[in-house]
This record gives sequence, C-alpha cells and structure tokens, in this order.
Amino acid sequence: MKVSLRWIQEFVDLPTTDVDELERVMSNLGLEVEGVEHVDTDFTGVVVGRVTEVAPHPNADKLRVATCDIGADEPHTVVCGAWNFDEGAVVTVALPGAVLPGGFEIGTREIRGVPSPGMICSERELGLGEDADGILVLDDDHPPLGADFADALPYPDVVFDLSITPNRPDAMSVHGVARDLAAHYDIDLRRPEITVETPGADTAITVRVEDPERCPRFTAREIRDIEIGAAPLWMRLRLRDAGMRPINNVVDITNYVMLEYGQPLHAFDLDEVPDETIVVRRAGKGERLTTLDSVDRALSTEDLVIAGPDEALALAGVMGGETSEVSEETSRILLEVAHFSAPHVLLTGKRHALRSEAVARFERGVDPELPPLASDRAAALMAEYAGGTVAGGFVDEYPGEAEATRVDLPADEVTRLLGVEIDPDTIAGYLERLGFTVERGDPMRVTVPSYRPDVSRPADLVEEVLRLHGFDAVPERVPHGPGGGLPDAEARRRAVRAAMVGAGYHETMSYAFVGPGDVEAMGYPDDDVRAHPVGVRNPLNEEEGVLRTTLLPGLLRGLRVNQTRNNPDVALFEMGRTFFADAGPLPHQPEHLAFATVGAVPGPAWSHGGEVRDWTDATGLVATLGEALGLDLHVRQTSRPGFHPGRCADVVLDGAVIGTVGEIHPRVAARFDVTGRVAAGELDLTSVLQRPPHRVFVTPSPYPPVVFDLAFDLPAEVPAADLVRAVRDAGGEHLERAVLFDVFTGPPLEQGRKSLGVRLTYRDPGRTLTDEELGPVRDSIAAAVADHLDGILRSG
Amino acid sequence: MGIVERLQTIRAEGIERLAAAASVAELEAVRDELLGDDSEVASARRGLRDADPADRKAIGRAVNEVTTALTTAAEERREDLAAEEERIRLEGERVDMTLPGRAPARGSAHLIMQVWDEIVDIFVGLGYSVASGPEVETAFYNFDALNTPPTHPARLESDTLYVAHGDEPEGVLLRTQTSPVQARHMEQHEPPVYIVAPGRTFRRDQTDATHTPVFHQMEGLAVDRGITFADLKGTLHSFAREFFGPDSEIRFLPNFFPFTEPSAEMHVSCFACDGSGCRTCSRTGWIELLGCGMVDPNVFEAVGYDPTEVTGFAFGVGIDRLAQIRYGVPELRLFYDADLRVLEQYR
Repeated sequence: MKVSLRWIQEFVDLPTTDVDELERVMSNLGLEVEGVEHVDTDFTGVVVGRVTEVAPHPNADKLRVATCDIGADEPHTVVCGAWNFDEGAVVTVALPGAVLPGGFEIGTREIRGVPSPGMICSERELGLGEDADGILVLDDDHPPLGADFADALPYPDVVFDLSITPNRPDAMSVHGVARDLAAHYDIDLRRPEITVETPGADTAITVRVEDPERCPRFTAREIRDIEIGAAPLWMRLRLRDAGMRPINNVVDITNYVMLEYGQPLHAFDLDEVPDETIVVRRAGKGERLTTLDSVDRALSTEDLVIAGPDEALALAGVMGGETSEVSEETSRILLEVAHFSAPHVLLTGKRHALRSEAVARFERGVDPELPPLASDRAAALMAEYAGGTVAGGFVDEYPGEAEATRVDLPADEVTRLLGVEIDPDTIAGYLERLGFTVERGDPMRVTVPSYRPDVSRPADLVEEVLRLHGFDAVPERVPHGPGGGLPDAEARRRAVRAAMVGAGYHETMSYAFVGPGDVEAMGYPDDDVRAHPVGVRNPLNEEEGVLRTTLLPGLLRGLRVNQTRNNPDVALFEMGRTFFADAGPLPHQPEHLAFATVGAVPGPAWSHGGEVRDWTDATGLVATLGEALGLDLHVRQTSRPGFHPGRCADVVLDGAVIGTVGEIHPRVAARFDVTGRVAAGELDLTSVLQRPPHRVFVTPSPYPPVVFDLAFDLPAEVPAADLVRAVRDAGGEHLERAVLFDVFTGPPLEQGRKSLGVRLTYRDPGRTLTDEELGPVRDSIAAAVADHLDGILRSG
Repeated sequence: MGIVERLQTIRAEGIERLAAAASVAELEAVRDELLGDDSEVASARRGLRDADPADRKAIGRAVNEVTTALTTAAEERREDLAAEEERIRLEGERVDMTLPGRAPARGSAHLIMQVWDEIVDIFVGLGYSVASGPEVETAFYNFDALNTPPTHPARLESDTLYVAHGDEPEGVLLRTQTSPVQARHMEQHEPPVYIVAPGRTFRRDQTDATHTPVFHQMEGLAVDRGITFADLKGTLHSFAREFFGPDSEIRFLPNFFPFTEPSAEMHVSCFACDGSGCRTCSRTGWIELLGCGMVDPNVFEAVGYDPTEVTGFAFGVGIDRLAQIRYGVPELRLFYDADLRVLEQYR
C-alpha cells in the first residue's frame, strides 16, 4: 500500500519529515516499509495562462494559434495541436527556456511559418499523468495567471510503500497510518469536519440484506445531477502516486476515500438499478455476472452479491458489475458503503482470483463503524467536484450493531510475556494513544476500538504495548533446555550420510512428488505397493501428480542429467521419505536411502584400467554401510522388479529384508535414457535408524596367526556368501577371519561346477596355535560344506 | 726393506686399491687379497711367533694397524658403493609427480543438510532436543491446532498441496510448515519443552529462480514457566552469532502469524558487508531471517497446556534460505538439481 507523506500530514503534525526516521518508525510499528519513492515535479519554466483567443493556423488545418494571458503585459501567442480547449480555458504554458521531463528544452520554433515561443502542455508532457489526448486544462481552482505551475503542485512529496500484515485492517489507509504515527509520537490525530448538504428530495432507494452474517451493515445514498468528468488534478495526482489509475470524478472519489479511510465504496449508476431496489444475497445456482474487468464469471452459491430485484449487479466487497458501471452518461448514482465479513470476501476473492483494493481491505476486516463517515466524505467530495446534489435519506441497514470488545489485562501480563517491567500508567498510556479505552486497576479493563478486530485477548494487548514500547527495550536472556544431546536416530542418519559421502557419493534432493510415468517406468507389477502411489489432489502439473514410493526415479533422472551434460561418471544418493497408502489417518511415510552410480570406477584416468561400475559397487556399499552403522547387513541373491534379474540381491538385517541392491534392469535404465550399467540400491532406513550400534571391544591377540586356504569344488549355483557362512559356522572358536579370495570355473572342473577358495585366519588370544591342532576343524569344515552345499574339498 | 716397512707399503697401496674398487664384488676380491688367509698381512701375523723377540712388538703393532686401516677403508668404500647403487636404483624409479594421483573418491553431503546439521547442533548445544513429524500431515495439525481458521488463505488449494487420502478433500496435505511438529510434540510431552524440528515443507509453487515447491524449515519451540520475549531475543541472537559470526546484530519488527502473539520478524545484520549495505542484503544492511513470537494461548489450549501456567516462544527459519544467503547460491532451484557441477560445489 502506497501512502503519501503530505496526505498523512493532513491528519497529523509530525515532529519530523526525515524520511529515514519515518521509515524506521513505521517499520517498528509493524508497518513494514518496502520502498520509498521521492515524488517531485520534473519541469521548470511552466506558467499558468488563460487562453484569450484561438485562431486557425494559416498553413495547417490541424493546428491552431492560441493567445494566452500569462499575467504579463503582453499576450503570449503559441501554436497548439490540441483541440480540447476554447477561449477562456486556463492552461499551462511552457515558455522559452522551460525544461520538461526527460530534459526536453523548450525554445522558440517556427511551426509551419508561424513562430511559437514555447507551447501549451499536456498532462503527459509535464509528467503528471498518462493523458496525451489533449492539453491540460485547469479547473476553476487554478493558481493566478503567470504563476509558476510547479509551485502550485503538491510536491515534493514522499511515498512510502507499506506492507501491511493481515491482522492490521486499521492500517490499510492514510488515516490509519497517521493514527499509528500519532500514537508513536504521542500527538493529536485530526479528523476533519465533514458536512454534507442534502438539498434534494429523499431518495427512493430501498435495501434488503438477506445475509446479515456476510453483510452486517449496508449503507446507501443517492446523489443526483452528477456531471461525469475528470477529478481535480490534485486528486488524480494523489491516486496516481498511490498506484491507482484515475478514471472519472465519481470513481476517483470513491477510490480517494477508500485510500484515505480504508473503507471501500462503490458507486452504481442508479438508472441501471431496477426499481432502485438493492438486495444483498447469496448468488443463485448457475448465476453469472460480468464484472468491471469484463470477465463473465460463474458465481458460486457461497458468493455474496449486491443485486437488483432480479439480477446480480456486483460481487459484494470484491468488484462491481459492468451493467451498473458509472459511465459518461451517468447522472444519478447510488453510493454503496457497506461492511462485509472478512472471510467471505477473502474466499470469494480467491475463488475468482480477484485481488482488488476492496478485497485487500475487506479480507482483513474493515471497521464496521466507518461506513457513515466514508459515505459523508465521498458525498461531500462529489458535491464539490462532480456537480452532485446529495439526496436526503441515508439508508443504513445495520441490524446487529457490534458490541465493543472488552479485555481484562492482568497487571503482570506484560512482564510475564515480554520479560521487561513497564509501569501500569505507561501501559495504559500506550493503549490509550492507540485508541483503546482503559479503566486502570488490576486487571486493567480495556475496551477495544471498533477498528481493531484483531485484539480480543491479553496477549493481543501485550503486542500493542510492545509495538509502542519497542523491541529494543526488551532485554536478552538465553534459557537452556534440559539437554539430552542429539537423538540416536538423528546421529545414525548422519552416520549413514557420512558413510555415503566417504564412499564417494553425492547427495541430491528431489521433490517428494513424481509423475505417474516415473512409477510406470520402474516396471513394478500390479501387486507391488510401489505401483500404487498416493495422489496429490491439486498438483501444479501432471509431472508432480503422485507421491513417490521409491527414490530411484529421481536418481535415475539425476544420472541422465549428468550424462547429457558430458559428465559420464556419476555416483548419487538421496535420503528422504516415501509414501504409501495406509488405512490410518495418514499415509505410511518410511524414510529411504537410495543410491545409483554409472560410469568409470574412480581412479586417475591416465592409468585407468577401464573398469566400470557394476553390481559389486552396490553389494560393496552394503558392507560399507553395515560397518558404518555397526550392523550385520548382508545380501541375499534374489530378483526384484526394476533390477537386473541375475544381478540383484536383498539387503538383510536380522533375517528381515530391508532393501534391494544390484544393477538396474537395462530396460528400466533405457526408459530413463541412462546408458551403461547402473549399480543402485534402495533401503528402508526405519529399522536401521532405530537400532543402536552393536560394538564390543576386544584386545588384539599378541600371538601369531595360523593362516591357510581351503578350495572347494561346488555346484555353480551355490552363492559364495553361503559357503563363507558355512565355513564360519563350522570354523570353531579361534576362527578370526574367513575371506573369499578365489573364484574359477572350467577344466579340470566339471560342467556346472565352480571352485571357491577361502582364506582362513586362526588365532588364540592366549597362546600360539599349531597346525596340528587345527586338523580337526579343517575336517569339520569340509564335512559341513559337503553336507550342506554339496562341496568337495579340493586342497588345503 | 724390513717387514714393518713392507706392511706400511701394503697399507698405503691397499687403501688406494680399495678406494678404486668399482663394485661391491671387486671390493670383496681386493679385500680378500689384502687381508685374506693368503695375504702378506696374514702371513706376517702367522710369522710373529718366529720373529726376533726384539722386533715382535713392532711387527705386531704394524700388523694390527694395517688390518684396522684396511678393514676401515673397505667398510667406507662398501658404504659409498651401496649408496651409489641405491642412488642409481632410485633414479630409475623417478616419476612425474604432477600426474593426477590416486585420490579416494569423495562425495558430498547436500548443502541444505550441512546447514541443517549445523543449526541443529547450535540448538542441541543450548540443551534442545530434536523432534520430527510426518511430511504428509493432517489439516488439523498443520492448521487447526495452530490457530489457523478454516477461512485462512494459506488453506486454499492455490497455496497448499492436498493429498488423496481419506474422505475429506482438504483433510490431508503436504505440510506447509514444520510448525505442526510443535503441536504433535506438545500433545505427547509435558512442559518444559525445548525442541527444534527440522524438516521438509511444501507449497504449491511453480519452480523458478526464487521458488521451489519443496523447501526446508526448522521450527524451534521453548515452553516453560517464565519464558518471555527476552528469552526469544537472547536465544535467537545467540543463534545469529553462532551462524553468521560473533559480531552479528539483530533487530525485530512486529509481524503477524496465527500461532504466535506477539509476533515478530527477525532481521540480522548483513554478514557480507557488516551492515553497510551490499547485494546480499539488498543494500539495507539487514537480512530478513525468520519469523518468531510468543506461542499463542490458543495453541496451548489446543494441546492441553494451561496458558496461564506456562509461556513459550517459537520460531521458524528457512534452511534453504540460510544456505542460500550464507553461500551465495544464486537460485533456489539449484538445490534440487542433480548436476555434478552443482553438487561438487557442496564439498
């Protein structure tokens, strides 16, 4: 909201005009200053003159020669191309030597053979408005002939652009801002006397409010003999500086009063209101209205309309309608000044995507006591500037007059909430300066003014006190909580992230929503919960239409992005929530970790062996994570949707499957336009984050180990992990380590067989072991492998 | 020439020959010739028994001197030769040390998560615990419990993403703020409560340079007997000093939030220009940092706390924004870009 300093000064005598100081004061009052504009005239050498004679130009049909009295001894004659004036018009004349906006210097020119010392100016040429159709014609209130026109304008001025919070309807006007400043400086706020003469016969307007909840008050009055024309220049300049476009005197006056007092007004062409009857009602089913912005709108039955006996004329509190719009022909108006409930206007405004100045005010809650004052102010201005005759009979439908809100403020409440001692008289003084009525005592009995619907509780009053007392006066204190440190789950989440970063993966973030196509591309079968994502009801676009059930699509897209940008070696991970339909009040939202990598294995390119990422990166990472978390994570070969059928394994923790790793199915990778083998995996972190690390510390044995290798001839389909587990299980208490170190197939082995070599390390914490005593363990390992895995000990 | 003189000649010649040996093998051969069993020195040592007793002492001393001198000379030469051989071998192993080395692959934690951890740690240091809540949330916790009336504009479909779950069309949503964690936590815990709740939040915004539909917030909440605005000021100043530097100043301006009263907006003096005005702070010297206030009595009532017994403060700070302003990230949407040229800058 833009407010002019000169306008504010019509209501208060400010102790300062220092812009920085005022900006600071307003911001501290909660009227955030978003911008400051210095407005001034940008021309010199322009004087006021009266046209005494207009003659045709001897050589040009479109030009005239105007003689002006500019208060000097000699008349001043210039050539003029405008036709919107006649003899007697008071105009602005730029004399030779004048400088107009844009540095445009005026001299004496000969125009088609006639010398023209200077020119008569249009509004636009003076930088005072957009109107360039004709020259600026001043009204009767003009300065004396010959006066410097720049001096006659209300400039220089400062315009503050304020951002008003939704709880401050009272501050949505020049008067309201002045009221806050008066409270701050503890100075008087003027409210100019307004007198409305009502010489005409009483109006025949009738008003029926059918929905007093949405429209608690409706006032109407009739103004006759209207002469539509331009509003006075000073008013147009005020509107322009406030960011509004001047339209005509009637509309400009309603806007002017709205800016001044914060009360939206609307003028109807009374001849377009059938039977001079107004009905305030809900819109009917299927009802339509073309609003002033020429949009034909389908109304909701939740919308409140101002209607005639039949058809809607305006969207109440939001925007007028086209049929009853004030036009050049308008001679009688119905001036509506009403109060509409804030939520209704807000919702109607949102429903129709209309952000009018009226909406901005009503949606916050306008003072219900304002309409008579605003109506008087507008009527008086119309009588003065639009030729209006105000009819008798002021209609004021106000059935349930609002009762003033009273709040008891306990004496210690301010200290209790703010931590600063302020004596009761000072508190009462602050509140009184803001317009509250205070009965001193404990508690203080405070009556809230009608323009502060936001204040209804002690805490609200404390905020008012704080606004005037200032935040700087509040001391600083740092309380300490009971402590307890980082929760385990948070610490473990960090450990997972650190392990991933240490393993060379970059963390990415993608949106929680994906397109249905992303889910389909993963190829989950119909009985897989991941194939049935929870939908977003009102997505911005289809590509963000469902909640993700897996993090993999985001990562695959990430790989693709890098491949297209000539970065072929990529390792990414993401940690985040996934969402699944659930019978409970909310969807199930487990936190997942997923990773995906493609391209060359890290290493200096000049000595690189050409190794590329594959499934071993995925299974190896499971081991890394297990170590980082102190958990026994292992993999179990399987095949899962989305993954390569022969290169896929479940991640198992204590017998429960918590995820899948392997290579992404080439068909799935192709659907995401990723080329090359993609090693990837996804884990549900829920159980991982809940489990404390299992750590047992052991002093290393000082004795040397016994190390030997065993190679087994096994069926090709036996997983290596099963062999290692069988060896460990049968290995006895001194087995320190069993590592798979060799794999081969082919002669001399039979078809369908393979050889796996395991290196075993034995050690005792208290003595040196001998080869001989390990003979029995060797035998029992061989027996176990033979029994469970059909393996034959080849050597060792 | 007497034997003693002869030994001195052997010594002098021997030292020269040893020094001239060109390899360890040659050195050993010369040494054997000079001091081995067949050498003149060995035979002189053997002849001592038969020597004239008057000369024996002098000859013995000469033999020992020659032996020591030649042994020492041989050792010295051996060390020289070994050093030279090592030098040649190592010279053969010379490489171009400026070739790229074998660096362990190093990834990166997302910048938002780095800032997340940093600010969580600041508050853990002040004795706060960390709370979390669901990202898909009920309208009750996201709005009603936070004193946000059913007609509040934030609830409109144009601003909030609603989720197809349950019967009510506007009953379940992607939370628009981390504040619902306040209400959930207070429902489950008796005061005192000192928590921060970092998390993902959502708004129905089209992605562009300054908007993303997903962003991150951290909610802070302290509820106890006797908590005042002074505690809010002190705590947030402490936070600002830790995050932006010890000279950070703060200021508060009145603002409005449904769930706090009084409400304020906190600004911090610009860390980039020390408040003199620059691009980071739009030439104002101040950075608008967060919203805060004293917990509204209606919020306490909604969770079953007695607002006459306890008071509290709450604040919400945008983590993406903190990361953006401190590291000068030009566009918010970069945070959701998987381009390695972005991610590698997070290291």
